[in-house]
Amino acid sequence: MNNIPLEYYIALSGILFTIGTLGVILRRNAIIVFMSLEIMLNSVNLAFISFARYLGDTSGEIFVFFVMAVAAAESAIGLAIILALFRKKQTIYVDEVNVLKH
Amino acid sequence: MFTFLGLGPLTWITFLPILGMIIILLIPSGEDDLAKAKSQNLYRWITVGVTFIQLVISIFLVLNFNLKFAGVNDPNSMQFVERANWIYLSGLPLLGNLKIQYFIGIDGISAPMVLLTTIVSFLATFASWNIKKSAKGYFSMYLLLVTGMMGVFVALDFFLFYVFWELMLLPMYFLIGIWGGANKEYAAIKFFLYTLFGSVFMLLVMIALYFAVGSFNMFDMMDFAKYSHSSILYGMGSNWRLIAFAALFVGFAIKVPSVPFHTWLPDAHVEAPTPISVILAGVLLKMGTYGMLRIAWPMFPDAVMYFQNWIAVIGLVSIVYGALCALGQFKFGKRDFKKLIAYSSVSHMGYVVLGMASMTTEGMVGAIFQMFNHGTITAMLFMIVGVIYDRAHTRGLDDFGGLANKMPVYTGIMTIAFFGAIGLPGLSGFVSEAMVFLGTFKTYPIYAMIAGSGIILGASYMLWALQKVFFGKLPERWSGPWDPTHKIYKTDDVNLVEKVALVPLVIIIIYLGINPNAMIGLMSNSVNHLIEFVKLSGQVAHL
Amino acid sequence: MTITQSYLNNLMASVGYFAPEIAIVVTFIVAILFDLMFKKSKNIAAYISIIGLIITGFILSGNIGISKSLFDGLIVVDPYSTFFKFLFLITTILIMVMSLSYKELYDNNRKVGEYYSMLVGITFGMFLLASAVNLITIYLSIEILSLSSYVLAGYTKEIRRASEASLKYVIYGSLSSGIMVYGMSLLYGATMTLDVAKINVAILSGHVELFPIIIGGLMILVGFGYKMSAVPFHYWTPDVYEGAPITITSYLSVASKAAGFAVFIRFFKDLYLLPATSDINIWNTISNFHWQTIVAVLSVLTMTVGNFVALWQENVKRLLAYSSIAHAGYILMAVVVMTNVGITSILLYFVFYMIMNLGAFFVAQLFANKIGSDDLKDYIGLGYRSPVLAVLMTVFLISLTGLPPTAGFIGKFYIFTAVLDKGFVWLAVIGVLNSVVSLFYYAKIFRNMFLRSVADDTKNNFKFSAPAFPLSIAYVLAFATILFGLYFSPILNWAENSVTMFK
Repeated sequence: MNNIPLEYYIALSGILFTIGTLGVILRRNAIIVFMSLEIMLNSVNLAFISFARYLGDTSGEIFVFFVMAVAAAESAIGLAIILALFRKKQTIYVDEVNVLKH
Repeated sequence: MFTFLGLGPLTWITFLPILGMIIILLIPSGEDDLAKAKSQNLYRWITVGVTFIQLVISIFLVLNFNLKFAGVNDPNSMQFVERANWIYLSGLPLLGNLKIQYFIGIDGISAPMVLLTTIVSFLATFASWNIKKSAKGYFSMYLLLVTGMMGVFVALDFFLFYVFWELMLLPMYFLIGIWGGANKEYAAIKFFLYTLFGSVFMLLVMIALYFAVGSFNMFDMMDFAKYSHSSILYGMGSNWRLIAFAALFVGFAIKVPSVPFHTWLPDAHVEAPTPISVILAGVLLKMGTYGMLRIAWPMFPDAVMYFQNWIAVIGLVSIVYGALCALGQFKFGKRDFKKLIAYSSVSHMGYVVLGMASMTTEGMVGAIFQMFNHGTITAMLFMIVGVIYDRAHTRGLDDFGGLANKMPVYTGIMTIAFFGAIGLPGLSGFVSEAMVFLGTFKTYPIYAMIAGSGIILGASYMLWALQKVFFGKLPERWSGPWDPTHKIYKTDDVNLVEKVALVPLVIIIIYLGINPNAMIGLMSNSVNHLIEFVKLSGQVAHL
Repeated sequence: MTITQSYLNNLMASVGYFAPEIAIVVTFIVAILFDLMFKKSKNIAAYISIIGLIITGFILSGNIGISKSLFDGLIVVDPYSTFFKFLFLITTILIMVMSLSYKELYDNNRKVGEYYSMLVGITFGMFLLASAVNLITIYLSIEILSLSSYVLAGYTKEIRRASEASLKYVIYGSLSSGIMVYGMSLLYGATMTLDVAKINVAILSGHVELFPIIIGGLMILVGFGYKMSAVPFHYWTPDVYEGAPITITSYLSVASKAAGFAVFIRFFKDLYLLPATSDINIWNTISNFHWQTIVAVLSVLTMTVGNFVALWQENVKRLLAYSSIAHAGYILMAVVVMTNVGITSILLYFVFYMIMNLGAFFVAQLFANKIGSDDLKDYIGLGYRSPVLAVLMTVFLISLTGLPPTAGFIGKFYIFTAVLDKGFVWLAVIGVLNSVVSLFYYAKIFRNMFLRSVADDTKNNFKFSAPAFPLSIAYVLAFATILFGLYFSPILNWAENSVTMFK
């Protein structure tokens, strides 16, 4: 572990974060949007753990537990909302959800 | 000082309408037609009562007014002063002290305005006699408006002044917007936006002045020794001071209204119901010029001296442009009677601005006197239009003709009002305009000559309108009984209510034409003091 | 022994000051349990929540004037947070009371127990947020706040716009909190601590990389900006505000926004703007990175976009949504100066904004109960059909515009005072021009109510008013709006004393 420099982890985390963000912005399928959100949060976790390991400070690792819990809650609520919407409209594509316009 | 229930006359005169408003709001408007008519009558008489008491108080104030005291920048020579701490926080951890006072009083500049306000609002009540639609709302808004106007003229604390200044916006918006003519929505919001646009800059200047002197007291703001060195307004003639003055001036000029900020006025006048036009022309426009005298001039004397020429030019342009627009009504416009008078207001208020810019005793006294005279004369003109509009339901000048035989009393009253507006010697308008000319001639002889053309233009459109309405052949449809479906209207002469509204104004116009000293004496001391003060402090800045 | 002992001592010492939050949690649990047990009485959760929050208020008043760091620096109790907590409490209680008379919520025999307990949950999140001084607590409390809001926004789930609002809210919300938490990880990586005060110390020490701190700060700004609905993070606001039940809309526009500002001010004031006089080299580098300019641009964008888009809205809820964006812009003006006077003016503004905005939404709700619509065109003639409500609405709108003699004027007046105090004349000028623009669309509402009227023979032309209890609440709010416009000394005093702990 210690042989791999910190930069590699951070770079990977940055790449994951970018992929996740782009997924949220570009994809239209609500399920995939939520998966992308999970990727974002996981990139955060990776960053926190690598920093914590590298700096020898445990608080970053503690943060990760909270992020994981929050991510679970978030997707639970998100999926419930998608379900409610699906019952009304029979779609999970966010661009077809358009009663409210800008 | 005379007090009633522990409150002085100025408090009563300002807040009595609010009391009336509350009473009106508490009276139910009634279910069936009979009860409705009954409570409408009640609203009307409450309003008459309240404004009458105001009138009595204001006459009392003028009679007890001590002519020796100048006022202006000296708090000790203000009269009927009432002073209480309103929001008075000291030792705040951050802002230090916050001093907002309930501070009212009058001097020679505001006394004529207080009198004018009570006269116009009392008489305009009679012009409101025919308001049937939501009378409750109408009269409560009307009274709120009166409080706002009166408050502006008596306030000596800038914060208080600003509160009153904004207070009258909303009732005015509703009065034009609900009880107005066909295009009322547009006119109402235009009025609202224009005035708000002007006043928000006033707000910023007010805050800047507060930082300079640490209170909202107007007299502190006029005392340059009290300005803090760290303030951006410190240092006579600095750029910030010029900008601040310009912002204030624009705020007031919108209200006056001076060209090029005048475009809301014709719309508002044309759409507003008669009594509101009367108040608008009679009192509201004066708030602009009053604000200049009370706030802009003494607080920024250096900037006044710096911009003096430009202010005079604005006044001059207003005179000529307003008169040309009024005259243009015959050629290009719809020949709308009210629009004609609205533009004549722009022109007449131009004299006030010109007189104030001249910085001479004659010019300044003439300006304030002109404010009063324009208030009475134009109020009368709008009432006259209202009289004929009530009968004919049209304001087109082309629709009339030959009314002189049909309505002799009306013709007589209208002739006096028109001659007053033209400035015929013997009537009040002549004195004030002549004084403005005299004063301007001392400072800007060329401007005075150009302004003279305004008189000629004014005479031509006024006489033209007079001829249109009264002489010539009586159109067919004015002859028979009233029948709206066939466009035949009755042309009775003025009735009692209308006479009550018009005759006092005729008397005032004639009396002040013969004996102008009655009014000039009231203000001359203050005006001299103001000019002296502004010139002195302004010149110090230019050394 | 010593570590455990001292840890326990610290814990015991902290719990006492944490009592208000504990009371909220107890309320939350009791409300849910009683709702399950007494199925017959529909509003039991509501009553328990209201009573519980009132009790919380009493407990909270014990914390007035106390400044203390709790739980090893995870949260603090100070006058600033207490001020905001009272604001949250009052807002929540008012919203609950308003919800009791909300027709759409009680339609279809819907169960409302969770609705009220969720509101309690949000309150807990906001309480934590106002006190949070550690990145973990900041993140967690934002999430507690957000998760409950997502559910509440879609609470009337068979109404399609509500579910849609909820979906948009959850996606945008998760995205921005994801960005924020990534920013936190950068900050942590650069400074090796999650404690905001220690991060500040680390920055001041000068041994840290600047780049991640600035980027991290900007990313955290995204998360806060989202809560404050500042442009350009405002996309969700109009949709969510229009779609959500109107009580939740008003709640989000006041409390959630206030919570966002509370943490934003504390975070940036502590982290990046202290102390201005320091001459440490690295500090100057950060100061030269113009936070003020960024916030000023945000502020100008926020109020201008909010006001101008509001101009052509045809739905009252949506219009008020954009107006609340604009108000966030006004408040941001005071954040720009970041002086204590500025923060005071923000606190003051929030009190007044709470009163007038809740009032406006509440009257809109009472209208919707009767006419079943929030469309501007359905407001035509309401001034004659329901004069009392229409007049109350006008009072709130005038206050939102910022005209005297209403509370809204005092609020704006103070913000401009703070802005001019620091010499940001251009910002103040843009601010006042914006409030002129705002008049136009607020006037559209009372224009429709009073200046236009429907024909007498329309079947929709029935007269109506509101039931006595909701009406009296509206009266109280309107009275407060005018009262605070004329006399605001106590609130100003309180607000001034609440910011003194900022150096």
